[in-house]
Amino acid sequence: MKGLLNVFTSLFSPSGKERGEVDAAVLAAFRERCRTFKRLLSSNHEALQCMARMEELLSGDAPFGMHTVNELCTRTGTLVFQMVRLLERLDGPGAENVSSPDSAAGPDVDSKPAGNAHAALQARFREIGARVTEALRAPVSAPDAPPVLRLADLDASMARVAGGKAANLGEAARALPPDVARVPLGVVVTTTAFRRFMADLSEDIAARITARDAGGPEAGLDTAYALSSALQQRVTAAPLPDDLAASLREAVAALASETGGAGEGGPGVRLALRSSAVGEDAAGSSFAGQYRSVLGVSPEDAPDLYKHVVASKYGVTAMAYRLAHGLRDEDVDMAVLITAMIDARCGGVAYSTDPAGSSEVPAGSGAGRVLVHAVPGLPKAVVDGSLDVDRFELDRATLEVAHVHVAHKTARLAVDAGAGVREESLDESLADAPCLSAAEARAVARLALELERHFGCPQDVEWALDRAGVLYLLQCRPLQVRAAREARAAAPSGAVAGALALGGVAASPGAACGPVFVLRKQADALRFPQGAVLVTAQALPGWAPLLAKAAAVVTEHGSQAGHLATVAREYGVPALMGLEDACALLADAGEVTVDADRLAVLPGRDEAALARSRPRSAGLMAGSAVHEALRRAAEHVVPLRLLDPDGPDFRPENCRTLHDVTRYCHEKAVHAMFHKGGDVAFPQGASRRLSCGGKTMQYWIIDLQDGLDEAGRDRRTVRLEDVRSVPMLALWRGMTAVQWAGPPAVDAKGFMSVVVEASMNPDLDPAMGSPMAMRNYFMISRDFMSLQSRFGFHFCSVEAVIGERDEQNFACFQFKGGAASMERRVARAALVGEVMAEHGFLTEVRADNLYARIEHLPAARMEDALAILGHLIVHTRQLDMVMGSPERARAEADKLRADLAAVLGGTAP
Amino acid sequence: MHVLLVDDELLFLDIMQRFMDKRGIDFTGVPGGREAVEAVSRRDFDIVVLDVKMPGMDGIETLREIKRLKPDLEVIMLTGHANTEDALKALEIGAFDYLIKPVAFEELYAKIEEALAARPLS
Repeated sequence: MKGLLNVFTSLFSPSGKERGEVDAAVLAAFRERCRTFKRLLSSNHEALQCMARMEELLSGDAPFGMHTVNELCTRTGTLVFQMVRLLERLDGPGAENVSSPDSAAGPDVDSKPAGNAHAALQARFREIGARVTEALRAPVSAPDAPPVLRLADLDASMARVAGGKAANLGEAARALPPDVARVPLGVVVTTTAFRRFMADLSEDIAARITARDAGGPEAGLDTAYALSSALQQRVTAAPLPDDLAASLREAVAALASETGGAGEGGPGVRLALRSSAVGEDAAGSSFAGQYRSVLGVSPEDAPDLYKHVVASKYGVTAMAYRLAHGLRDEDVDMAVLITAMIDARCGGVAYSTDPAGSSEVPAGSGAGRVLVHAVPGLPKAVVDGSLDVDRFELDRATLEVAHVHVAHKTARLAVDAGAGVREESLDESLADAPCLSAAEARAVARLALELERHFGCPQDVEWALDRAGVLYLLQCRPLQVRAAREARAAAPSGAVAGALALGGVAASPGAACGPVFVLRKQADALRFPQGAVLVTAQALPGWAPLLAKAAAVVTEHGSQAGHLATVAREYGVPALMGLEDACALLADAGEVTVDADRLAVLPGRDEAALARSRPRSAGLMAGSAVHEALRRAAEHVVPLRLLDPDGPDFRPENCRTLHDVTRYCHEKAVHAMFHKGGDVAFPQGASRRLSCGGKTMQYWIIDLQDGLDEAGRDRRTVRLEDVRSVPMLALWRGMTAVQWAGPPAVDAKGFMSVVVEASMNPDLDPAMGSPMAMRNYFMISRDFMSLQSRFGFHFCSVEAVIGERDEQNFACFQFKGGAASMERRVARAALVGEVMAEHGFLTEVRADNLYARIEHLPAARMEDALAILGHLIVHTRQLDMVMGSPERARAEADKLRADLAAVLGGTAP
Repeated sequence: MHVLLVDDELLFLDIMQRFMDKRGIDFTGVPGGREAVEAVSRRDFDIVVLDVKMPGMDGIETLREIKRLKPDLEVIMLTGHANTEDALKALEIGAFDYLIKPVAFEELYAKIEEALAARPLS
């Protein structure tokens, strides 16, 4: 650095003999500094983008996985660390630093050598980085338990070892009076057993999932299916540890003999294996059939099928669901509930209240209705949405049947004599008969209300009646209930004019609009577009992953009680189910509005229906483990607390977030480039004055690389026509399109405000003494420009890249200062910010600071954006002075808008 | 320009080879750290793109060795396993940047150009 000092000294000596050689050396060194500076700016820019992305994810509905969280945190850390290192390079090592006290100038130079500041900054960076890493760590895993527990020994507090479903069922078994319902005998294979089984597989699985997450939610369903299938095969092919297999066989044998003794299943006892994942049935994220249940299992097959149920943790639906709900793979441990099968005469699902809120009363109150859905045979058909169902509505207070809908039923599901379940045709005489008597419907309703009372929230209850007429509870979980709607349309469905299709049930309330996509087969799912209306025949649970993309759902079959309906309600996607001939009626409809509340599908975009509908529930991810991890990490990344670069607290020790560190680095880097060491660090020799139309301007140009043409490189004064920098030329166009009329006429108070502030505010340093004070420096290359401009009290900076690649284009603008009172400066910043926002800039006004950025636009639009900036730089300089008068401010704002239109339209005078 | 890509995923090497061919850029792909160090000691490259997680000699170790042999050779780390500690370690040793897969080829190419532009002028 000493050498460079000498070089500078001789450079600025007018009689330097070897000026040519020295010039080249200085310029080379300076260009090196400029490159470092440019890299720092680019890291700064990308780091701020990462932070913006974190905020977007935290406040948005879009699903994201742990990979995204890790990626954002790592990338931000990398970029900020680069900035720290690049700042060190710009400043030079401490001892030789040009900002050492004897050569330092300016009010905001550290009083100690830069080396100490660098060490402090690095230390702060590392501390903050460690906190971010800490925030991303997984929580401690569940406590250890025996591999198998009896259902009778469970209660609700044991969800971490038994999973939600089994723990709830165990709790219900304890709580239910025997005359209300029974619970089948059963055992649970615990999460401890699961972790033991998965120990050898987990690393491989994690690596594959990371690769999937890396593709993001847009990676496509075909990738998802391939991964899901590979992972499930991996799990089912793995051997069960011997001791685990033995415990399982023993437990199942005991269950079979106990069941046989109790007369429930007879000699050919069959079992039901159901997933009972941790978190599965937690309120707000009922996994609603995303995992596999296997019915009609003979005891000897149980160990093998246990693996199949465990493998369904990696079903495509379940994985998409976890991604959408921000659950990490390691957060979900899978216990498996094994119960004796009930030979069901009929079964179904009951809701202790109407989940779509069509009851005119709040859920949980005494009034309203219990809904009982029933089919002949096994209740699985209700849950699948595969068969049409009878529907009973009972008064919650009196348990009187208020309404019955009897479906035309042609089939039932039954336990197969061999294995599994089969569909068998239903006797014609039963096709149109209700499958429950009023007394039976009342018994089911009473069970649902009893469970609601015990658990303290509305319940979704799967039940079965055996051939002896005994009612069994198979599972229960909290019911997703949408709050009653304020403006429920009173019109019956027949009265909706102009509808393309009418009828069905509102399986999930609300209205939404989008193009119709008729889904006829599995392969169609891969092409399902974002924002489309899903129209399909059956409400199969397998369509659930599409709900993250769908605007609304319409199905020909299915009911409120199916899994797809549950998931639709959870996603806040309006759904109409059981709408006859929906596929044929809507196939060519194009854009439609699904108004589930009025049971209607309307052509085009129906604003009235949409206006009645409330927006989607915000923050689907909120509260999830992934969201929490990001939120905790973001606390150490995103907030900006280091606000005032001129204040005494602007020091490395006070950086508390990575954003603070970037702010510090950016400010100090600008300082190092333009202020530090006065004339020495800043080679004015490398800068040349700009001339325009024969007149020299108050602008100096530093050509970093290819910002000037051949002719311009050799001139002492750079002519505007020599400039090749695209962003600079665009900015200049805006700066000069409209002549500056000089400072606006100031009212007396405005003038006094300026005078008073200028004399009382020590921060208002017009810095007249420094050569930098009145100069405006453009650093340019062909696709880059950085303008640092200071007119007395006003400071502004613009950095921009305009090149061929849209995704790298950006412009950042910072504007602050002014001489009027703080109040007026703040008002000015707000006004300018407002005008910029109208032109697509993202703006942030903090006190009298205005930050604005615009990015990723094609070159032509970026140039317009730069022209807007150019105009604003010149024409808003002293607007603060008229901000005391609302009328004047309004008039100035109107003029600004009109002038900007003229600048962009090329019609400026 | 001559790019050395080090990655144990052969499919990725293959795709990169085609991408670089299309742009007329000299390209050498090797599947591991040892091969990378050997290649660097034998001939001159303008830039190295280095995977972090590789069996045998891992990316960090390879980076250290490359920087020992050719301190001015810029190395861009590329990984599927985002990890802040590794990232900082790599930058300390002198990596130009630490990118996380998946990265668009255009983006990687832009980063390569940026690294070349940032090289100290000889």
